[in-house]
Parts: sequence; C-alpha cells; structure tokens
Amino acid sequence: MNKVTGRIEEELRDPSTSPSSWTILWRELKKDKLALISLIFLGLTIVAVYGVSLVLDQKQIVRVDLFALYQPPSAEFWLGTDYGGRDVFGQLFIGTRNSLSIGIIVTLLTGTIGILVGLISGYFGGAADNLAMRVVDFFMILPTLMIVIAFVAAVPKYSIVSFSLIMTAFLWMGIARLIRSKALQEKELEYVKASRTLGSSHLKIMFTQVLPNLSSIIIVTMTLNLAANIGLESGLSFLGFGFPESTPSLGTLVSYARNPQTLEYRWWIWLPASLLILVLMLSINNVGQALKRATDARQRRG
Amino acid sequence: MALLEVRDLKVYFPVYGGIFRRIVDRIKAVDGVNLTIEPGHTYGLVGESGSGKTTTGRAIIGLNPITSGQILFQGEDIGWGMRGHQSRFRKDIQMIFQDPYSSLNPKKRILDIVSEPLRNFEKLTPAEEKRRVQELLAQVGLSSETIYKYPHEFSGGQRQRIGIARAIALKPKLIIADEPVSSLDVSVQAQVLNFMQDIQKELHLTYLFISHDLGIIRHMCDHIGIMYRGRYVEQGTTREIFENPQHIYTKRLLAAIPDLDPSQRGKRQRQRQLIYQEYDKEFSQYFDHDGLAYALRPLSDTHSAAIPGRGQG
Amino acid sequence: MWKTTLRRFLIMIPQIILLSILVFMMAKALPGDALSGLLDPSVDPSMIEAQREKLGLNNPWYVQYWDWITKAIQGDFGQSFRFKMPVTDLIGQRITNTIWLSLVTLIFTYLIAIPLGIISGRYNDTWGDRLITGYTYLGFAAPLFIFSLLMLWVFGFHLQAFPTEGSVTPGLVPGTLEYSFSKIYHILLPALSMALITTVSTVQYLRSEIIDTKQRDFILTARAKGASESRIYTHHILRNSLLPIAAFFGYEITGLIGGTVFVEYIFSYPGMGQLFLNSIMLRDFSVVTALVLLYGIASILGSLISDIILSIVDPRIRIK
Repeated sequence: MNKVTGRIEEELRDPSTSPSSWTILWRELKKDKLALISLIFLGLTIVAVYGVSLVLDQKQIVRVDLFALYQPPSAEFWLGTDYGGRDVFGQLFIGTRNSLSIGIIVTLLTGTIGILVGLISGYFGGAADNLAMRVVDFFMILPTLMIVIAFVAAVPKYSIVSFSLIMTAFLWMGIARLIRSKALQEKELEYVKASRTLGSSHLKIMFTQVLPNLSSIIIVTMTLNLAANIGLESGLSFLGFGFPESTPSLGTLVSYARNPQTLEYRWWIWLPASLLILVLMLSINNVGQALKRATDARQRRG
Repeated sequence: MALLEVRDLKVYFPVYGGIFRRIVDRIKAVDGVNLTIEPGHTYGLVGESGSGKTTTGRAIIGLNPITSGQILFQGEDIGWGMRGHQSRFRKDIQMIFQDPYSSLNPKKRILDIVSEPLRNFEKLTPAEEKRRVQELLAQVGLSSETIYKYPHEFSGGQRQRIGIARAIALKPKLIIADEPVSSLDVSVQAQVLNFMQDIQKELHLTYLFISHDLGIIRHMCDHIGIMYRGRYVEQGTTREIFENPQHIYTKRLLAAIPDLDPSQRGKRQRQRQLIYQEYDKEFSQYFDHDGLAYALRPLSDTHSAAIPGRGQG
Repeated sequence: MWKTTLRRFLIMIPQIILLSILVFMMAKALPGDALSGLLDPSVDPSMIEAQREKLGLNNPWYVQYWDWITKAIQGDFGQSFRFKMPVTDLIGQRITNTIWLSLVTLIFTYLIAIPLGIISGRYNDTWGDRLITGYTYLGFAAPLFIFSLLMLWVFGFHLQAFPTEGSVTPGLVPGTLEYSFSKIYHILLPALSMALITTVSTVQYLRSEIIDTKQRDFILTARAKGASESRIYTHHILRNSLLPIAAFFGYEITGLIGGTVFVEYIFSYPGMGQLFLNSIMLRDFSVVTALVLLYGIASILGSLISDIILSIVDPRIRIK
C-alpha cells in the first residue's frame, strides 16, 4: 500500500500529470486482474461488434430464407439458422451491437438527467429538493418494468427513439438520488462557500466546482447502470417489448427459446446470445465493482 | 469614516418540527450585534463555539441570510447586495476560511484556485492571468512552479497561504478571517499570523478577525468584541478589555488564558478560582432569566459592556 | 415513534393519488377505449358516438378520471373484452397463483440468504466466503430471465426433474392432496430460479452487516467477558442483523413483481404476470390498467410496511 501511495504521490508531483478521476481509477483497475480481463474482453467485443457489423449486411441477415430453416451449426452458418432461416451468428453480432448501443444511449441519457436533477436538488436543497426527492422516491417504488411495457404498447409509431425515451423516463431516478445525496454533502464544504465569496455564480459552482468532485462516483454508477440497462433492454426484447423485430437484439435471439422445441433441441439459436448477455453483464459489473472498490479505497486512504 | 458598520444585525435560523415539518421555533444565532471597524485596523470577534461570531462574519459577507439589521460599507448600505454573486462589494470584502483542507477544491490546480476571483471580475488573457497568480503566490511566499500542483500536495500552513493569496487577488479593503489558524499546528500558527500582519501593512488591509483564542486576539487586534449566545457582552480596545474587563463573562474568559510563567502558576490558579466562584454567584445579575446578556452600556468612548443597570459592578 | 409512522402514512396518500393519475394517463394513452373491443366495427359511427356520450367518454379528463377512480375503489375495473368477464373476476382467478409463487420465492430467498450470509460474514476471507461472494457476484450480474431460462433448460428439459409449464398437472381434482402436491411441485423451479437471483443482495447485506458488527465495541466486550462464540452470534450479532433483513420484505415486493412477470412467462405459469403480458399482446387494456394499478399499490404498501418496521427496529433510519 505504501509503495503504491508513494508512487501516486510521485506522479502527482509531476506538473504535467493531473490526478483526474480517470487516471486514478485506471491505476486501481490495473491491479484487479479479473476486472482488467473483463475490460479487455469488453474492448475486444466492442471493436469486433461495431467493426464486423460495418461489413455485415443487416438486410441480408434478417432476410427470411425458407430453404434454410433451423439449420444446425455448419461451415456456412457457424451458429446455424433460426425459424426464418436467418444466420444466427450474424444476428448475434448485430444484436450485440444494438443492445450495446441502446444500453449506452440510455445510460448517457439517464445519467445526464439524473446528474442535473440530483445536482440542482442537492445543491439548492429546500422545499424544491424535498418535493423532487418525494417524486423520485415514488418512481423508485413503482414496478417500472410493467409501466415501461405498457408505454411501449401505447406508443403508436414505435421506434428505437421512442423505446430509449420510455426507458429513460423511468430510469433516471436512481442516479439522481445518489448524486443528490453526494451534492448535499459536498456543498457543505468550505470550498463551495469560498467560491461564493469569490464571486462565482451558483451555476458555475455547481458545474465547475462541485461536479468534478463527484466524477468518480458518476463513473462508477454509470458503469453499473450500463450493465443494468443492457439487462433490462434484452429482458424487454425477450418479452417482445424491446426492439422492433426488424432490428434484432440479444434479447430477441433469446426469445426464440419461448418455443419449447427450440429451447430443448436447438440450443444454437438462443444459448449463445444468453451466454453473451451473461458474460457482457458480468464483465461490465466486474469493471464497475472494481472501480467502486477503487473509490472506496481512496476514501479510506484520504 | 468607518470602513464597516454593522447595525443591529440579527440572524435567526428556523427550526422545523411536527408532522408537517413547519417552522416551530427560531434559533437566534446573532441577536442584535453592532460593530464598527475603522480602516487599517484589526477588529477581533471573540466567543466560545456557538456564540454567533462565525455567523456574524458569514452574514457580513453574504453567506448567511440576514433576518434584520444593516451592514454599511464605507457608509453605503450593502444590504442584500452581498448575496448576488456579482455584487460590487464582493471585490472589497473577502474571506479567509478556517479549514485550509476543505476550503480549497481538491480537484483544482492552484492556478485555477487562485485565479477564480480574477476570472469572475477581471478579463485577463491566460498569460496575464498566469502572471498575476504567480505574483500573488510570490506575495504569500510560494514559488511560482506551484501553480500546476493540487492542494493535497501542500501542508496546512501552505494551504492557508494559498487561501490568503486567493483572498487578496481582487485587492479587497476588508478581509474577514474566520479562525484562520485554529486548524494549524501551533508552530505554524505564529508564522501565518505574522504573515497576515505583514500583508496588512503592505496592502492597507482591514481585518475582521474571528477567533476563540484570546492570546491570538491580543496579538492581532486593536479592538475587540466579545460575544455570548448571539449577543455582545463587552466591546472595547484591546487594552480596555484586557486590563479593565467589566463583564463577568469577559473576566472568566481572560482568567482561562493559560499563563506561560511557571512562577505565577499558583497565584493565577487562585485568581481563576475566585473568578469562577464569582461567575457562578453573580451569573443571574449579569444575564437575564433566559441566560442572555443585557444591552450594552457605554463606559467610555470606546468601551461598553452589557452590565446591569445599577452602575458599574 | 407514532409521529414517524403517521408521517409515513401521510406520504403514502399523495403517492397513491399520483399512481392513479399516472395509470389513468397510461390508460388514456393506450390505443382504443372501452368501446373499441366491445363493438363490431361495422356499426354505424353515429351509434358509436352516442354510446361514447352515454359512457362519458367525451367528458373532460378529470370527470373521466373521477368516474374511473370511484369505480376502481369499489373494485370495478370494467370488462375484459377478450375473456368477456369483469376484470376483477379475471384477476381473482390468477392472483392466488402469483401470491403463492411470490410467497414461496420469499421463503426460498430467506432460506438461502440467512445461512449463506452468516457463513460468509462469520468466516470472512475463508474459501467458503470466497465461494459465496463469487456466487453473489454472479447472481448480481445475471439477468433473471437468462438464469430462469437456463434453469428450465437444465432441470426442466434435460434432467426432467421438474414440470416445464403450468401451475398444476391437468386433470387433478382441486382439494385433493395430489392436487396440492402438484401445485407445490410446479412452483418449486420458478420460485427457486427467482430466489437464487433475488437473494443475492440480502446475502451481501447480511455479510457486510455481520463483518461490521463483529468489530464493534460491544461485541469485543462480550468476547472479553468470555462469552462463547456461538452465544455472541446468536445473542448479539444476529439479533442486530436479522431484524432489518426481515423488514426488507416489503421492499422486495417491487422486485418480486418484476420477477414474476419474467418467470411466469418463461415457465408458462398462469399468474398475474402472464395475464399482464397476454393482455398487452391481445390489447385487452382494461385488464392492463387494473393490473398496473394493483401492482403499484402493492409496491407502495410494501415500502410503507418496510419503512415503518425499519423505523421501529432501527431509529437511525427514521425518515426525516
């Protein structure tokens, strides 16, 4: 521990390096083998999925081929075909890309709203904060899954945009609550008061003084949220309330297992997607938990 | 003309209670404080924790809302003006904070910390800004390479110097120093205090010096106000307070100052006991039935004390 | 104490009103209304219009809301056009199945969490603890639907140890012992699948709580006085840690509701979750609306119960 601390201090003394949250978290992450492997796996997956899907022709993959229904894995179809004769392997790539994309989009959207609401609410406090947190509590109690499903069914022109907006509308509360409680602690510190006496506006203090001090916690939460959002999206697609059928998601592939015949005899259709979801979520969680430990350790040390 | 005049300042905090969390009571943190500070002087505000001295300082600079009263700066009412972030009084009144650890943002470089007021009030190019910050750091005795470092790389005393550099960046006239050395090692305290005096001469600063430590107050201040539970019990020049204290509370505070001369120890100990006995005995004469101090009565041009109406005690 | 409880009750009232408005808005947003399912499309439009007027569908929204909520309070959620029966009766048929499923899941959750949490916390940093921590890691990351599907695939289809669908073997007479056994048999696999995932957070909580408590001064004092290790655990540590866990069951309700939707769908278990999904797919929206309202109220009540119990058990977490 001492050696590590010493090294960190040494690096910090160098005027060219800044101890941004990223560098500190990265340093901690490198020590955690499992998390590092997870991160490498995630990186490779992202490169592979987005790279290959550039080459793959989505239209061709989702085209129904009646002469190749339920083909087991072969040299032509590495993971066989589904009930429409579509290549499962290709769908796996496109599905992963779609699931990752929506996961990232929803995480960024919920993160932005959550950070804004939480920061403003916690920083100013008072009656508005009280009311905002009552509303947040209320939405956090609700069975979000069913309401999201109902809204998905209610939207007339259903698209990926409306899907991500519906998910966002019901998922920003957790991060808002967290950021709010941290902002509440942070604003009591004297540097915030000092900024006031130095003539900085509330807006400036919130975003340039308080927010940087919440960056570690934001990075950790967003990482864990990404895993949760991918899980929720694939779950909804599995139930048939996620992506439209024309854009396959990992959950869509898993949903073919609803056919008992497919579940029992045609593992190649649903099992790879299931395992991929599992491994993706495990990896993202590993990274997130390692980052979380890193920030905790920092607090203990500081 | 006085640089700062505070007239009948009151700061009350609401207490919430009951099922609906409504205001059920108010804590009178500052309850009718009057004080006047002449330019170039150092005014000491003394009291135990919870006496309202810090709240007074924060109310003057606009960190706490004022319930009632007036604050005049160079004869002009700054009123609620201090609460707006771009008030013109901001440049003239600055603050040095108690805790040099939490008063500097840990995520900011020294350059960003010291230049924060400059960015708010002066339009400087980055190069000018950097030069100004280096000048300010030189003024507080820190080398110019420190601008790219972060607060945690400095000792407490160094941090407090950075805090001072930031406070003098806008060339203020009045600096409110809220227990500026109480969280520093004793060995560093004197260093920072002397430095504050040097810089006061150099920049013609006026200080409102808030502290619970009478030794430091005596060293720094020419006028003193003593607070107890939100009210003044006595105020006067340092000489008047230390050599001719009138209020029993002031006497008690003075008696509690440790004496460094061991030969006097026994004598001091006996004196202290006497004053403590007197304090317990005569408490009800000096405070009303709520345990609060009476209104101040003038004893001389500069000296006044909250002593009961029947004359000097 | 009573003040906290009363305050918590008062918070619940706007919550339920807000929920009902949200559900009402959702019902309005869902395509079609009470008439579109009931009437033949070939009926004269002016007839439909007259019917709409009669049913109050042209009233301003707040009047409609009021009509709807007063009926809902009396248990009238309208008709299911698909099953041609009152929604209340329809839900009544399914609710017992879901309650049983949830109950068995809850029992499994605690049966798994308590021993694992205690072993993990008491013997922390042993290989047993590491194994359990590994499991919680996995369970925390694994989505319920993937895990349930794998359980169904392995235990239902491959090993054929459990039934793969339904809530009871068809043909059995209700009330017989065989019937009851069959019901339990059908619940086991879905409930276990759900419990194995939901229990993870409780295991983690119990573990950290025990590790935290066992270094506290009062435990060290008890140990110094010569109390046996098992006595320390049963009398001091567990008494402190288990009560909050028992109180968590109210919070679990929201999670259970989401879980039953997936599990009932995967195991073709005829409960409310399955009814919900079917009704959405069949556009039987009066059922959907009623179910969302019901689930919402269950969640709100669950958190109310947990908040109140926790505030009694642990004064530190009393709501401000």
